[in-house]
Amino acid sequence: MRKKLAILFSIISVLFLSFPAFASEGEKGKVDVKGNIFHHLADGYGWEVPFSHTYRIPLPVIVRAEDGSWHCFSSGRLAKYEEETNAEGKTHTVAVPQIVDIEKDGNPQAYRFVLAHESKHKDKVVQLLPTSPADEAQAEQTAKAQNDEIVDGYVKFDGKYYKEYKPFDISITKNVLALFIAAALVTWMVMGLVRFYSRNGFKAPRKGMGFLELCVDFIYTGVIKSTLGAKATKFAPYLLTAFFFILVMNLLGLVVIFPGGANLTGNIAITLVLAVMTFVVTNINGNKHYWKEIFWPDVPLFLKFPLPIMQIIEIFGMFTKPAALCVRLFANMMGGHMIVLTLTLLIFIFAVYGAAVAGVSTLMSLLFSIFMLLLDVLVSFIQAYVFTLLSTIFISMAVEEHEDHHKTVEDMA
Amino acid sequence: MELFTPDFGLVFWMFVAFIILFLVLAKWGWPAIIKQMEGRADAIDKGVEYAREAKEQLDNAKQSAQQVIDEAQARQADILREAAKMKSQIIEEAKKEASEEARKVMEQAKVSIEQSRKEAELQFRNEVSKFSLDIAEKMVRGQLRNDEEQQKLVSKMLDEIEKN
Repeated sequence: MRKKLAILFSIISVLFLSFPAFASEGEKGKVDVKGNIFHHLADGYGWEVPFSHTYRIPLPVIVRAEDGSWHCFSSGRLAKYEEETNAEGKTHTVAVPQIVDIEKDGNPQAYRFVLAHESKHKDKVVQLLPTSPADEAQAEQTAKAQNDEIVDGYVKFDGKYYKEYKPFDISITKNVLALFIAAALVTWMVMGLVRFYSRNGFKAPRKGMGFLELCVDFIYTGVIKSTLGAKATKFAPYLLTAFFFILVMNLLGLVVIFPGGANLTGNIAITLVLAVMTFVVTNINGNKHYWKEIFWPDVPLFLKFPLPIMQIIEIFGMFTKPAALCVRLFANMMGGHMIVLTLTLLIFIFAVYGAAVAGVSTLMSLLFSIFMLLLDVLVSFIQAYVFTLLSTIFISMAVEEHEDHHKTVEDMA
Repeated sequence: MELFTPDFGLVFWMFVAFIILFLVLAKWGWPAIIKQMEGRADAIDKGVEYAREAKEQLDNAKQSAQQVIDEAQARQADILREAAKMKSQIIEEAKKEASEEARKVMEQAKVSIEQSRKEAELQFRNEVSKFSLDIAEKMVRGQLRNDEEQQKLVSKMLDEIEKN
């Protein structure tokens, strides 16, 4: 207990010590709260390392250029590190964006890529196309006319406008790598349990593996088998994979440093794919009764003919169900991250009002952040559970036999 | 806003990662775990059922052992009672038989005594008659003269003896 308290106090004191650095930044301008939050929630071409605003773990960038050729280079080449001396005479390293030139047929600048900043595709890698001075002048004119630096079809880099092309981008970004790490973790966990079984026969696992088995049992017996009955074994692999993948991604997102920290399930692309999977599984396995309910439901005739009102509603419902799954998981996880980030940023917002205010707000923010993170651990479980539960229910509604349905209703009554 | 527009690269990799993860776990992961868990649950259920049955059997065995003991005791008591009855019966019979035998022996003895007495009487009579005859002869020899009177006398005397 004393050891834990000592660790807590050392963390707090480190935070206090780091104030002058941030305070000096704060004097230059107010803390960009929105920018900071969205930066932490967004994807990136590199992976931040703790205690540095500059360095990133370089990751491969894979893009398809305008002429259809594929290019792969390290994201470390998108910026170079330079020593900068500020007004107070302190030197620190800054990352300066730079153009990545790729050579082809003796032309050293055959393909030029840059991390866009003043462009429609902010924070994405874009290809720079050969730009004539006339084009450049036109872009500058447009910028002046609309009183905005961002010009459609152009990227401003180092004060110059270039024609841009948004390449087909399948880079291994921070989120993609986190995705692979999460998938590897799930595989390792599950295969570890399988290996334990093959080694120990009927012996029940203890501790960590016991907990994993408990979770599998909780989902399989409590959700899948009780809802799908005899069809449980057919859909269990998909539902269990979805549950554990979501759970591990949720929990990894709460870890602050390297293997974690990527806001995966709070990214709509991830939840979209998961929801599409449920949609596909549901509709591929939908039986005659399921399709009849959509195209010829048991309602008075005037509701479905000649105007197909019910059909339109039902078809709409087919898509809203997975869409709700997608948005629910996304919004819950992103909301949780956002609250923790906001609470943390409160420290820096209050830092400008002096040491006493900063101290109190640090302590309060810290306590609230810890509370919110613990709550997010709970939310991680609940959201993974809810996604699996609703997917199971959607699938069961699509595959359920009509007679069975009546039976269950009678059983309930 | 970037957060709300799905990024194609991420969608692509998520799809790939999820499909690979699903295929790997659907082939080697989940079926093995589910089979193991259900197998273990069945084994535990069977074990519990077995234990319950064993306990029942044990209880039954105890009960039946008690029953056997009770039965044996009842039979023992029966046998003892019967034995006692038989004993008294045998004794009774033996007594009866003995008394019967004794009676027979006595009767035989009586008969033989009677016979012997009769024989003895006959013999005695014969003897007496012989003696009497002898005496009479002697007397007759002495009084040979009057034969007729003498004979009358003798028979008169013999009759008197017989009467006694």
